Amino acid sequence: MHLDDGQIRAYFDGEPGDLTLDEIRQHLAACPECRARLEQVRQRAARVSQRLSFFAPPVGEPSPASRLAAKPALAQFTHRLNQNKEYPMSQKIFRARTAWAGLVVILLLVIALSIPSGFAWAGQFLGLFRVQQVAVIPIDPTGLMALKGDSGLGQQIGQLISKSITFDQKPGKPYMVASAAEASKAAGFSVRLPTSETGAPQLAVQPGASFKFVVDRARAQALLDESGHQDLVLPQSLDNESIAVTVPTAVTASFGACPALNEDTTSQFGSKGRRYADCVILAQIPSPTVNTPPDVDVQKLAQIGLQFTGMSASQAQAFAQSVDWTSSLVIPLPKNAATYDQVPVDGVTGYLIQRPVDDAPEFALVWVKNGTIYTVGGLGADSARAIAIANSLK
Amino acid sequence: MTFKKSRASSEPLRPAESTPQFEATFLEHWPRVVALLQRLVGDGDEAEDLALDTFMRLYQRKPSDGNELNVGGWLHRVAMNLGLNAIRGWKRRQRYELESGKNELFEKHPAAPPELFAAEEQRRCVRLILSQMELRQAQILILRSSGQSYREIAAALGVSVTSIGTLLNRAEVEFEKRYRAAYPEGG
Repeated sequence: MHLDDGQIRAYFDGEPGDLTLDEIRQHLAACPECRARLEQVRQRAARVSQRLSFFAPPVGEPSPASRLAAKPALAQFTHRLNQNKEYPMSQKIFRARTAWAGLVVILLLVIALSIPSGFAWAGQFLGLFRVQQVAVIPIDPTGLMALKGDSGLGQQIGQLISKSITFDQKPGKPYMVASAAEASKAAGFSVRLPTSETGAPQLAVQPGASFKFVVDRARAQALLDESGHQDLVLPQSLDNESIAVTVPTAVTASFGACPALNEDTTSQFGSKGRRYADCVILAQIPSPTVNTPPDVDVQKLAQIGLQFTGMSASQAQAFAQSVDWTSSLVIPLPKNAATYDQVPVDGVTGYLIQRPVDDAPEFALVWVKNGTIYTVGGLGADSARAIAIANSLK
Repeated sequence: MTFKKSRASSEPLRPAESTPQFEATFLEHWPRVVALLQRLVGDGDEAEDLALDTFMRLYQRKPSDGNELNVGGWLHRVAMNLGLNAIRGWKRRQRYELESGKNELFEKHPAAPPELFAAEEQRRCVRLILSQMELRQAQILILRSSGQSYREIAAALGVSVTSIGTLLNRAEVEFEKRYRAAYPEGG
């Protein structure tokens, strides 16, 4: 009966195995074969240990990694947590690949804010919204944070919305196309590409979708009440109102090293900023259309929506009045998540939204021209490249 | 803004702020996790990203996953897994990494002797070998080389302490086989 290599290995380290050190010592003293194997195991362990020696924690001198001390790291962690969990929509905007989904979400905001008050003409869709410009509304997410803590309520609201939506045409999966001409044919509009980029873009087509949204006013109000907003009263008349949304087919053009078409980058953190630092994605989509019953008091509902995010009634009223809700792509931007500037691009005024986080900057340039929404998004801080793309579109 | 809630419903909901208990855990374990990852991937920035990702996984963990969690061991295991995954990703950008790694070293130490470059290349080779090994074998080698006792390794990997000798020995045999294949002359 001999010792096995595992017993010998543990003995060599002076660590516990299934035999005591004394038992092994006694056996080795009497067994030249096991002593020879001990020597083999010892030498191999030493070689491997030498090759892996850089894993040994440094003694005394702090490692380069510890320059990011735990407290700043925690602050960074909390920041990322909020970026990821509190503002999924703003992240969607930054992800030009899925820009159309972001647009749908924004449109849902428009819908949510545009549920009609006054009298209802059920079944008639006379008010037609078309996006003609971009508006950014800085919101204070503290009101929403309180809500997120209550998962029960969040889930109920999600259920209400998903029950209220029926798809006429479900959004299909994006697919690659070989040329701008092919993309234009698939999308039904003339795709524009920049001359400022030297490399050929990867072109993808994201099929559109259309759906109806039927308002269950009683449940929506109950949820508003439950969230502590008894002061916000939805008009009785909007019960069973139907709102139809059509999202056209979108085209994206990716420049540089970009994520693969259906690669899930949402579950990755941080390092994608370096992995895809030179990736810039241009997306273009004709304005989605939203059909609502006429006589919608959009401003009033916008005000309710803004108050819901935590604005005071007077602030919300001022903001609601400052935006033409029927023709604006409204981007609610959490105040502490990103900065935005108006910039002249492509002959119109666009918005450059930037998330100036040291480790993972992101930007999105958004503008609307001739009824088409354009976004140029990227990871990194090179927003000048986005502006060059916008200004060189042909 | 009901749409916001509809987005939220598609993801598991969590408290907006991390709890004091989580923060304490973070502060306690961060230095060791980030240091381990730094040694594993050899790049401070990438290590920090991966460490943040590791703690994000801890944060997103469902409480039902186990009440008696050995947090330190769990974090080390996840960190190693993420680090080894990242190394496997290097393959795709191998040329870029090699060039930038060497240039970076050269920029920092222009007068560095060739042995330094050789040592860096050897570390890189070791990392690639670890990333190609069976996960548990790579983990056991990393933990042992980081100075952890058999008891600590057993707790982190969820195996019995008396099996560590056998597992470690097997991992060393496997590592050596792969290393010799990469460096036939003995490196």
